[in-house]
Amino acid sequence: MQSIKKNFFELFGLPISFDVDVESLSEKYHELQKEFHPDASSLETEIEKMRSVQFTSFVNEAYNTLKSPIKRAGYFLTTQGFDTENVSQNELDMDLLLEQMQLREKIAELPKDDSAMPALANLKQDVKQKLLIQQSSFADDARSEKYKSAKKTFHELQFLYKLLSEIEENEERRLEY
Amino acid sequence: MALLQISEPGKKSINPKVKLAVGIDLGTTNSLISSGYLGDVEIFPDSSGHVLLPSVVQYRQDAQPIVGEKAKMEILVDPENTVTSIKRLMGLSASETQNLPQFEQYTFDSSRGDESPVIITRAGRKDPIQISADILSGLLARIHSAIDEDIEGAVITVPAYFNDAQRQQTKEAANLIGLSVLRLINEPTAAAVAYGLDSNEDGNTIVFDLGGGTFDVSLLCLKRGVFEVLATGGDTSLGGDDFDYVLSDWMSERVFDHGQATLKERGELIAYANSVKHELSLHNSVSLSFNEWRGTLDSVEFATICEPYIKRMINACRRVLRDASLSKEEIDNIVLVGGSTRMPIIREAVESFFEKPPLTNIDPDKVVAMGAGLQAEVLVGNKSASDFLLLDVNPLSLGIETMGELVEKIIPRNTTIPVAKAQEFTTFKDGQTSMVVHVVQGERELVSDCRSLAKFELGGIPKMVAGAAKIRVTFQVDADGLLSVVAEELSTKKKSEVQVKPSFGLSANAVEEILNSSHKNAKLDLDVRALREAQIEAKQLIDAIKAAKEGDGDLLEESDSGRIESLVHQLSEKIPNGTSQEIREMTELLNQITSDFAASRMDRYVGQALKGEAIDEIDQ
Repeated sequence: MQSIKKNFFELFGLPISFDVDVESLSEKYHELQKEFHPDASSLETEIEKMRSVQFTSFVNEAYNTLKSPIKRAGYFLTTQGFDTENVSQNELDMDLLLEQMQLREKIAELPKDDSAMPALANLKQDVKQKLLIQQSSFADDARSEKYKSAKKTFHELQFLYKLLSEIEENEERRLEY
Repeated sequence: MALLQISEPGKKSINPKVKLAVGIDLGTTNSLISSGYLGDVEIFPDSSGHVLLPSVVQYRQDAQPIVGEKAKMEILVDPENTVTSIKRLMGLSASETQNLPQFEQYTFDSSRGDESPVIITRAGRKDPIQISADILSGLLARIHSAIDEDIEGAVITVPAYFNDAQRQQTKEAANLIGLSVLRLINEPTAAAVAYGLDSNEDGNTIVFDLGGGTFDVSLLCLKRGVFEVLATGGDTSLGGDDFDYVLSDWMSERVFDHGQATLKERGELIAYANSVKHELSLHNSVSLSFNEWRGTLDSVEFATICEPYIKRMINACRRVLRDASLSKEEIDNIVLVGGSTRMPIIREAVESFFEKPPLTNIDPDKVVAMGAGLQAEVLVGNKSASDFLLLDVNPLSLGIETMGELVEKIIPRNTTIPVAKAQEFTTFKDGQTSMVVHVVQGERELVSDCRSLAKFELGGIPKMVAGAAKIRVTFQVDADGLLSVVAEELSTKKKSEVQVKPSFGLSANAVEEILNSSHKNAKLDLDVRALREAQIEAKQLIDAIKAAKEGDGDLLEESDSGRIESLVHQLSEKIPNGTSQEIREMTELLNQITSDFAASRMDRYVGQALKGEAIDEIDQ
C-alpha cells in the first residue's frame, strides 16, 4: 500500500531528470525525515505508527534510489515508460560483453589468498573509470531525450556494476579467514 | 490524527511534565543506566558510588538473586551458580552453546537442542532472558532509589551486529520485568550520539566498539542534526574477553606444560590473564607468576598472541568503509568505545590503520549509556526530534529461501530503516497449492550458512501451471530493526504473515504466562482489554477522518465522500455494543477506503514541509 501518490522525484520537489544534486537531495531527505520519522512525532495509535513506518520506508527507498546513479538511471527510464527489467540481445554491444567476460576470467585466475588484493584494487579502479564514462554518456542521452540510447547505456552500466560487486565480493572473501 | 500522523514540532511541550525515561547499556561484562530526568543526562551510580554494575548474577536458594559487585566476588567461590557474560548466549540455541569454553562451569539442560540454553542453578532453571532480566532489575533499583516516579520506558543498547533473535530476546528480558522498551539502538550509534551532541560538529565518524564479548564498528555521518548510520559491521563472537582466553591458553601451555588444568585452575588462570591484560595497559612488561611457574610478557609478544583477533577487527573496519563507499581519508573522527579499547595494542592498531589518533574525551565505559539516555529523552518527548534524529540501518541482510536451498536477499545489509521491500515469487510445480516461506538472515548464499528466523506456509494458492501463480513477499523492518513478513498470492489476495520471533527461546505465550504469574493481583482481562483498544482505535480513526475532511475535504471525490460518510456512521453505531472483532474489521475497512484520501493529504503536506510552511493546521 503506497502512502503517497508522488513519484520519487516529486517527493523531493525535484524535476524528473537524471541530473540530481546529491547534496541538496540529502538536505531535503533530512527535512522530510525530521518531520515524518516515527521518532519525530508522538504517535499514539497503531494506525499512526504503521503509517509513519510505511511513509518513511517510502522516503528511504526514494532517497536510496535517487542518490545512487545506477538506480536513479533505471528509475528515470521507468518514469519515461521504459521497462528496464527486460533487455534483448541486440540492445547490447557485443564488444562490451566480450570485454566483460575477459575481465571475469581474469578475476577467476587470481590467487585465492590476500596476495590478490593489489590486482583486485587495480581492476576495481579500471571498472570505476569505465562506470564514470558510461554515466556521463547516460546523462547526455537523458538530457537530449535519446532514451533508446540511454537504455542501452543503462544496461551496460548494470553489467559494470555487477562486475564491480563481483570484485568486491572477491575482496571480501580474501579478507575472511 | 490517525489519517495522518503529522504533529508539529514542539507539540509535546503542551504537556510540560517531564517523563522519566532511562537509557540502558546492557553489557557483557558491565551494565549501566542513565537518565535525563534530573536535568542533563547522567549515569546513575549505586549507593556506594559505583557507576558500573558488573553483569553477574548469583542465584541462591529461596532468596532473591544477587546482582553486580557482590555477585562478582562469588565467581570463584560459587562458579556453578554465578552467571557471567550471559549476553554471549543471547539468541543462541542450546546446541550452539555447547562449544563455548567459557561456559563450561555451568550445568546446562542437555535436552534443549535447538531451543534456548537453560542453566540449572540451585534456584532453578534459568535461561538467558531471565538472567538478563535480573541484571535489568539491578539497574532499575538504582533509579528507584533516587527517583520516586514510574519509569515511562527505556532505550536499551544492543551490539549493531546483534541478529533478530538476539534483539527479540533483549526486548523479552525487559518485558519480563514490566519495563517498556522505547527502542533498541545499536551501541556504536549511541556512542556517536553522545560524542556528536558533545562536539556539535558535522562530519563522518567511525565508532570502534570493543566490549567484553562483542565487537562492532559503525560509520556515521552527522549533518544538520541528523545522525545517519552509513554502514555497520562487526563480529558478535569477538570481544575483549577473547584476549583473556587466548592469554590464558598461552600461559596454560607454559604452566602445565601441555598437561590438563583442572576446571578450577582454568578459572583462576582466566582471571589471572584478565589482570595481566589490565597491567599491560599500564606497563610495557609484566612479570608473571602462577603456582610454581614464573615468566614475563611484554607488549610486543602480547600483540603477537592477539594478532589474529586484531586482524579480524581491522578487516571489519575495511568492510564498513567499503559498504559506505568512503575512503580512510574521508573519516573525520574515530571514537573508541568499550573498556577493551583501553588496551594500547588496540589503540595502536586503530591509529595506524586510520592514520589518525582516536578521540577518547568521553569515558568509553559510559558513552553508550549516555547516548541511550539522550535518545530516550527524544522518544518520550522531553527533547524534540528537530534537535537530533537518528537514522539507523539493518546490520544483516534479510532474505528468503528459494529453490536449491539458496538465499534470495530481499533487504541487503546497511539499508536505512524503516524499510519495506517486496519481491515476487512463483510456484515451481504444476497445481502447487501452497508455498513455504522460509525467512533467513545473513550474508552467505546457502540457507544452511544463514540464521533461520521463521518459517511459515502460504496455503490456498489456486491450482495453476508452474510459474503462473504470483506470490508477493513483503519484508518490513521497523525503526527497532524488527522484521515482519507478509506473503500474498496476488490473484486470490490470500495473505499469510508473521512477526518474526526467534524459532527458539520463550514463546510469546510463555512470556505472557510469566508476566501473568508475576502480576497475579493485577490480572488483566484480555477480552475486555481487546475490546477497549478496538473502541479507542475506532474512535480515533473517526475523529481523524472528520478533522481531515474539514481541513482537506477539497481532495475528496464526492462519491468517496459519501461512502466514507456512511461507513463512519455504521462504525459509530457499532462502537458501543459490537464485539472487538467486528469493530476491528470495520475500522480496518474504513482505514483502507480512506487510504487514497490519506495519500493525497500526504502529498500536500510533503510539499508544504519542503517549502518550510507551517503545518499546524494539519492536526486539527
